[in-house]
Amino acid sequence: MNKIQEIYHYRTMIASLIKRDLRGRYKGSVLGFAWTFLNPLLQLGVYTVVFSVIMRSGIEDYYLFLFVALIPWIFFSSSLTGGASCIISQKELVKKIYFPREVLPISLVTCQLVNMLLSMIVVFAVLLVSGKGVNLIALPFLIPVILVEYLLALGIAFISSSVTVYLRDLEHILLIVAMAWQFLTPVMYSIDMVPERLRAVFWINPMSSVIVAYRDVLYYKQIPRLNTLLTAAGLGLILLAAGWMLFGRLERHFAEEL
Amino acid sequence: MEAMMNEENMIEVRDLKKGFKIYPDKGSTIKEKLLFVNRRKYERREVLRGISFSVKRGEAVGLIGHNGCGKSTTLKLLSRIMYPDSGQIVMRGRVSSLIELGAGFHPDMSGRENIYINASIFGLTKKEIDRRLEDIIEFSELEEFIDNPVRTYSSGMYMRLAFSVAINVDADILLVDEILAVGDVSFQEKCFDRMREIKAMGTTIVIVSHALPQIEQICERTIWIDNGVIRDEGIPKYVHEHYLREMENKRLEILGKEEQRKAEASASAQKDDNEKKGKSEGQGEELPSFCSPLSIRIGNKKIQFTDVKLMDTGGREKTVFKSGEPFVVQMDYKSDEQGLSGNFGIGIFRDDGVHAYGTNTLIEHDSLVPIRMEGRVVVTVTDNCLLPARYMLDVAIHSEDGIRYDDIRNIIPFRITANKKDIGVCRLDNFWTVDGKLMEKRKYED
Repeated sequence: MNKIQEIYHYRTMIASLIKRDLRGRYKGSVLGFAWTFLNPLLQLGVYTVVFSVIMRSGIEDYYLFLFVALIPWIFFSSSLTGGASCIISQKELVKKIYFPREVLPISLVTCQLVNMLLSMIVVFAVLLVSGKGVNLIALPFLIPVILVEYLLALGIAFISSSVTVYLRDLEHILLIVAMAWQFLTPVMYSIDMVPERLRAVFWINPMSSVIVAYRDVLYYKQIPRLNTLLTAAGLGLILLAAGWMLFGRLERHFAEEL
Repeated sequence: MEAMMNEENMIEVRDLKKGFKIYPDKGSTIKEKLLFVNRRKYERREVLRGISFSVKRGEAVGLIGHNGCGKSTTLKLLSRIMYPDSGQIVMRGRVSSLIELGAGFHPDMSGRENIYINASIFGLTKKEIDRRLEDIIEFSELEEFIDNPVRTYSSGMYMRLAFSVAINVDADILLVDEILAVGDVSFQEKCFDRMREIKAMGTTIVIVSHALPQIEQICERTIWIDNGVIRDEGIPKYVHEHYLREMENKRLEILGKEEQRKAEASASAQKDDNEKKGKSEGQGEELPSFCSPLSIRIGNKKIQFTDVKLMDTGGREKTVFKSGEPFVVQMDYKSDEQGLSGNFGIGIFRDDGVHAYGTNTLIEHDSLVPIRMEGRVVVTVTDNCLLPARYMLDVAIHSEDGIRYDDIRNIIPFRITANKKDIGVCRLDNFWTVDGKLMEKRKYED
């Protein structure tokens, strides 16, 4: 409890690290902050061209089908892989200054969240412009979905950030893990394409529930399946608790290992 | 445990131990971890072997010692960057550490934005930073540049900004690591004054530094850490002298060994020659009988003291004087060289390190003493206004441009006893008038 209070006390640090990251990233480029929107928009452009001209799939508006799942997936996978380097890259800070170390993964994941929310603006704009539209009743369900994903992302970032300090290979291993995980999550395909007997295995992956829920709300314009989402929330809490505990143990020797 | 703690103590450290694993070739990749399981032998280096001390509210303590002695580790343990293997640390109140300046600075962001980032890393909230912003900018003297990106700053400006943030993070306990060499001399002076101010407001300070004079200026106490244990502790000036003497001895020892090695190397050729040389240069000599055991003697000995006496005006050697009683310092010297001239000086230090008085022939008479084979120089202090305390006498002979011929610190300890109860460094003669009439002494008092 004390730790939570302390982390809350350091909220300004979390905010400034996020701000520094968001603002620092595009500083010096001509278009600056506009890149935050341009980047997903251009990605979408590429998908549209590839999947509606070259590689046609049976799914209607495949570029949207993919895009509404890919944006949340990027949030998760960049928390996983970015988490790995978030302590190491702040080596000097960790070695020289005291602050609750949790601040680093928290600001990383929150920064990725903010990035996703900004990209979501593009998603909504495209949904409206393309005439697909949104379902205002299903839309509020996006909030718990985002929350569940945040729990999962934070839990995994606690683990990847702290373990990588001791085992530097993890940074590279996680890139592969993230790619494999993406293919095992219905990001590029629909869960219905998965053979029946494997589907139960798929639902164990909490990210499947999360991605499917995003797609339900944004693409199918319907209220997401709540039972799988609840399981994912439970798993998210367990992952977060376990991740934080592990982080708490490993954190004690960060300064020496770095 | 908390209950055992003395209320007055802001920092209490008990039997602190810390060791590091030193891997000759450290592997932190999986391949190395798996393949070389049995190669992962490491040495354990005990950096701290049981350190205990406490620091009171408003007290400033300096940690000194040679590199690798454990002083920085101690500071890191205090600031919770590292955790001890065993032992206890109790800290009361908010801790701020000036170990790293300019943490988190982003070169492309303005000075003002960086103040926010940097201060937030020290644990300040937005509101707290807002409140300090003006002070920080004013202290840094960077008003005109505060909205420019930090990458356009000179390194001096950068450090000034960084220091201003760090020093304006009010804390109950301030931990400082070797950072007072910031900016130009006048800014350093300002930082120093600010440290004193902070201390006067009741902040407890722990400083790690190699700059001993800085510690003497701020700290009441020095803790000398040697090889992971506390070697000496007490009034800075004395601990530092002890420390410096030890360092000097070590240096001479190494020098002596080198000399010896050289001598051995060319032994057969010029055996006699070298031996003589080695001996005459080895300075690890005994102190002469007129020096106290605490004395430290340095200098090239082209002119050297043969005797120094502290006496009353009647020529009797004494070490206790009343406040107001004149005293005499008599210095005998000899010199092998002809044609030198010397600047003779005396210095008086109070036992808490305060430099109570110092003068020399150049200051007093704007001239030097022509040096003969042997001679005697006498200073008579007619108006001794030192107040009761223990003091130390220093004597020195320098050349006009400051080359030390012979310089003996702490040569004679002496004491001043009271005749009045006034307080301070020295007595300022005074008289009082009330309503225009000279005040009289109470009749019944002597």
